Amino acid sequence: MSEAIRVENLNFSYEKGVETIKDISFSVAKGEYVALIGHNGSGKSTLSKLLCYLLPADSGHIYIDGIEVIEKNESKLRKKIGIVFQNPDNQFIGSTVEDDIAFGLENRNVSRDKMVELVHEFAQKVGMSKYLKKSPDELSGGQKQRVAIAGILALGLKIIIFDEATSMLDPEGVEDIKRLIMEMKKEDPELTFISITHDIEEAYISDRVIILNQGNIFLDGEPNEIFKQEELLKSIGLDIPFIMKIKSSLNKKGMQIPDEIKNMEELSDFLCK
Amino acid sequence: MKNVFGKLTPYNTIIHRLDPRVKMFALIGLMVVCFLPYGNYANRFIILGILFVVILVLMAISKCSFISFLSNLKSLWFMMIFLLIIFVFVPQAGDTSSYHPIVSFPNGYTIYYEGLFQSLHVFFRLIMMIALTLILTSTTSPMEMTYALEWYLTPLRIIKFPTQIISMTLSLALRFIPTLLDEANKIMKAQKSRGVDYEKGFITKKVRSVTTLIVPLLSSCFSRSDELSLAMNARGYEPYSKRSSYRVLKLGTNDYVSILFIILVIGAFGTMCYFTQNVAGYDNFLYLWFNVEAF
Repeated sequence: MSEAIRVENLNFSYEKGVETIKDISFSVAKGEYVALIGHNGSGKSTLSKLLCYLLPADSGHIYIDGIEVIEKNESKLRKKIGIVFQNPDNQFIGSTVEDDIAFGLENRNVSRDKMVELVHEFAQKVGMSKYLKKSPDELSGGQKQRVAIAGILALGLKIIIFDEATSMLDPEGVEDIKRLIMEMKKEDPELTFISITHDIEEAYISDRVIILNQGNIFLDGEPNEIFKQEELLKSIGLDIPFIMKIKSSLNKKGMQIPDEIKNMEELSDFLCK
Repeated sequence: MKNVFGKLTPYNTIIHRLDPRVKMFALIGLMVVCFLPYGNYANRFIILGILFVVILVLMAISKCSFISFLSNLKSLWFMMIFLLIIFVFVPQAGDTSSYHPIVSFPNGYTIYYEGLFQSLHVFFRLIMMIALTLILTSTTSPMEMTYALEWYLTPLRIIKFPTQIISMTLSLALRFIPTLLDEANKIMKAQKSRGVDYEKGFITKKVRSVTTLIVPLLSSCFSRSDELSLAMNARGYEPYSKRSSYRVLKLGTNDYVSILFIILVIGAFGTMCYFTQNVAGYDNFLYLWFNVEAF
């Protein structure tokens, strides 16, 4: 099975008659890094909750790694998919970093020796091994999100959803988490990330962008392809990444910039040639 | 944990390192010892004096700040006055024939030495209780106390009492105290900038201005707990299923020695309590101190 997530004709509404998710179908391959963007109220957070079975769908099917998302499979699903929420404080459950990383393991009834080993291993992986005994009020937002990620990785989950996980962090924290995601991707190509975000720049570094608008999939494709359609995006009120803006204005001036150029350094190198 | 419980001192003394269960046991044991009856007032004051020395030694070992102990006592003056009024100035009930009057008024209202001693005695016990709790809270983090409490509650599992849920609730509450205090501070500043005055005004006005703090705080509390429950659910928390525990409490040599020590102390004071029961009526020492001519 090379599909991590398959969604078929998914429908959901909080209130009768007001559909939040309208007949959505898509699939995500293993190892893909998908950015889900859209306006407030476009249904992206709802979609993430449906994927993790924090909300039951009205109709349609979701398969996570081949397992259907229904009540009967809840405990199996918890072994497949994890989610990092927006507010770093409200998902920090343990009283210290090590307790928080161990929380999911405790729920799985993992033996203590194994737990200590895993906590240290994954704290190291997210660069928090110096802070194991710290309480959450001594940590920055970015560090708390790192701990949340370690908690998910320690459970051996291969599909991670970031539900606006960087939106409450300072710019430094945002860069920090982005870098961590890229590192994790490099280390384990099996990891699948779904990042729900407002940050167009973050969407640009992903493998694939899905744009939701009013409960529908508006656009779905490679970031380069998507962000070329400036006019279309502007029609639903979305911006394009800074580098795409520069590229398009350079194009208008008659310069051909290849698609492979994805960040400012590469662009400046190219221009200097 | 910020200065919520105000007290946990950053030292690493032998008492800090003791198992929280042992410390809790010691606290309860010594409190019981404080409250045992030791015959007449003379005996009571001597024996409680010895106990107080023991407690002072414990305080010294745990590097408990004596200043914070005194500042704790400072807020007790009201209690002292209250006790004095209750025991000295309120007319004594029951048989007062063996009591020793200080002043007698013509209308039959009498103030007795016994009332004075009684209030001093209760006050002395209170001081020792405060000293004991201070030692516990300054050497034990709230989380450790939760673990100890969970351990003490384990026998209740036989009657299907959900001890794990209780301790999870407690530890979450402790975990969120600093977060919520932070939030309360922010809301307070925001409301102040909108012109709410928390300091001045009559009490009714103050109460009204506090509601501008409480209401937003409560509403944010609810949304926080909502998100928290989602996060816990997503990480596979099922309250009634079996969970393993990352924290394991283990007794060391020091712990066994301390248990033995506390049992010895309880034993010693228990014996004193037993032997002083029959020597009532010889309060001479105290009355001499207070220059009562009758003795």
